[in-house]
Amino acid sequence: MARVLFQHINKQYPGEHRLSVNDFHLEVADGEFLVLVGPSGCGKSTLLRMLAGLEDISEGEIYIGDRMVNYVSSKDRNISMVFQNYALYPHMSVYENIAFGLRLRKMAKAEIHERVIRAAKVLEIESYLNKLPSQMSGGQRQRVALGRAIVREPEVFLMDEPLSNLDAKLRVQMREEIGKLYRRLNTTMIYVTHDQVEAMTMGTRIVVMKGGIIQQVASPKEIYNKPVNMFVASFIGSPPMNFVSGKIVITQGQCYFETKRYVLLIPEGRRRLLQERYIGKKIIMGVRAENILYQSEDLEQEKHKHAKIETMVNIREHMGSDAYLYLHNKDHRLVMRVDPWTEHEEGQMLTVSPDMERVHFFDPETEAVIC
Amino acid sequence: MSADLAKKNRFARFVKRLKRSKPDYFLISAFIGLTLLAVFMLLPLVFIVNHAFKPINELFMYPPRFLAEHPTLFNFRQLFLNAQKMSIPFSRYFFNSVFTTGVTVAAAVLISAMAAYAFSKHKFPGSSVFFGLIIISLMFAPEAVVIPRFILISELGIMNTYFSHIWPLVAMPVGVFLMRQFIDQIPNALIEAAKIDGAKEWKIFYRIVLPVCMPAVATVAILAFQMSWSQTETSNYYVQVESLKTLPYYVATLTGGLANGVVGQGIAAAASLMIFLPNLIIFLLFQRQVLMTMAHSGIK
Repeated sequence: MARVLFQHINKQYPGEHRLSVNDFHLEVADGEFLVLVGPSGCGKSTLLRMLAGLEDISEGEIYIGDRMVNYVSSKDRNISMVFQNYALYPHMSVYENIAFGLRLRKMAKAEIHERVIRAAKVLEIESYLNKLPSQMSGGQRQRVALGRAIVREPEVFLMDEPLSNLDAKLRVQMREEIGKLYRRLNTTMIYVTHDQVEAMTMGTRIVVMKGGIIQQVASPKEIYNKPVNMFVASFIGSPPMNFVSGKIVITQGQCYFETKRYVLLIPEGRRRLLQERYIGKKIIMGVRAENILYQSEDLEQEKHKHAKIETMVNIREHMGSDAYLYLHNKDHRLVMRVDPWTEHEEGQMLTVSPDMERVHFFDPETEAVIC
Repeated sequence: MSADLAKKNRFARFVKRLKRSKPDYFLISAFIGLTLLAVFMLLPLVFIVNHAFKPINELFMYPPRFLAEHPTLFNFRQLFLNAQKMSIPFSRYFFNSVFTTGVTVAAAVLISAMAAYAFSKHKFPGSSVFFGLIIISLMFAPEAVVIPRFILISELGIMNTYFSHIWPLVAMPVGVFLMRQFIDQIPNALIEAAKIDGAKEWKIFYRIVLPVCMPAVATVAILAFQMSWSQTETSNYYVQVESLKTLPYYVATLTGGLANGVVGQGIAAAASLMIFLPNLIIFLLFQRQVLMTMAHSGIK
């Protein structure tokens, strides 16, 4: 077990002008489950590979524990890694795959056997130990890959999109397994994914990256509820946050968010957070699908009386536990979550109201959150 | 019983379907055409085998026959008798061939694989230039490089040694090319996983890369074997000491000017078969792997 410290890491591939990782500075505490998430090409895998010693570090220093590992080879960093395509040795049995790393470290045979069996028990792959990887399903292979990683009892676990090759059902199952494994081992884990659901459900802390730059580092809850900019707000959460551009105006002492087609009253509490300099300026409002209300008793409430939008139901998507309505108001589009039991027909007119206590406001130029 | 019945049913259904469906003329003509081609390709093999078992009068029959009418072991007996009469026993040629071919195959496979691994998975300055050179060297006919080769061998001071049978064949551009195509298919993650597991370059090469490309290894081994086993070039040019020459050279001398032209034919036929058989056996053993490699590399 060890902490990991990234100290102002830069990575530039030869022949490329852009930095793949730009001034990445972060300390990962001992025993933390850190998830790096971002769209493809955001540098998250590069970062992991630099930590693993598979990629040179252009600038900066990486520490595992108190040791600077920039010039330490992969095998001496005491890490293990799980790859997206499992990377099992195809010519070796499951047992040999798991034992390979231990054999290379010249461990005693009895000890190897004991550790392999123990790992196999944890991952419930005891009955496959004599099979070849090609005789197993994707989920089983990923378990073997996990077994290979845990058997060495490393200081840090690295996982590079380990669930991307699995089908949806298995992914959910393996997500749970990895979570269980983490709680059991309590070792530092660094997990790379492009799937925000994995990030939200697994990590104790999430790093959202874009273009090699950290956007936000926070707990899953905070990332979701308090995104620092429009990118994080739209990347985390499904369906993504709705963005509406408009203007802040003050009429008769009341503060409103005004678009071409509707005006929404901003409650006093939010207004105080909005800085004076945005009054009369263009601004972007973000609202999540679940924060739009539509039932008549909700709309009757005082705070919604002056925050109504007339829309037309364009598409209704039934997800089982939820349903989503894709609403249209001329040039504005909104996605909202509704109770799956309600009946809304496509083409029907619908009055909705965003929960103005929970909307976010963003600066249209910097895309940073205002409140 | 039930399995038998099911089999019968399946066959009956197959026949039914065959009768019902419209005949696919393309498939039928392709099938017939390819069968004829296969038979045609098989003829030389049939000829070589039969020729070795023909008595002398049949060897010179006109028009020549494919099949031996009165098969006999006379030619083989002559081969061994003749060999005993000579100062260098047949077994010596045989040993020379087996030894040099064995070493050549092992060395060619190892060196091709190592070079291919470096070209495929490592970045080093000039790698594409060097690989280009290897590809270009594929285009030279062996005859074109006989003289430079001779000078090289003579300057190296390995004339009249086993090395002169081995070195010229160890550099095997085709081998490097085939192996590289195959190693290119190995995912990098596999090699990285081994690195993290604690393997150094050599371990990665012989514990991971070599076993994973066994089909390519087999293919290169066969090619190297065929090149080395049946060639007379090295015995002709680089070796003057009779006791260091190889089997194919000996067979060539049997039919050559000095030997008895008539009896020599039978002996040569028997010896040709003996030289040919290992080729055939090795190919039959590894043919699946060869086909896999060819499919990978896109070569036909």
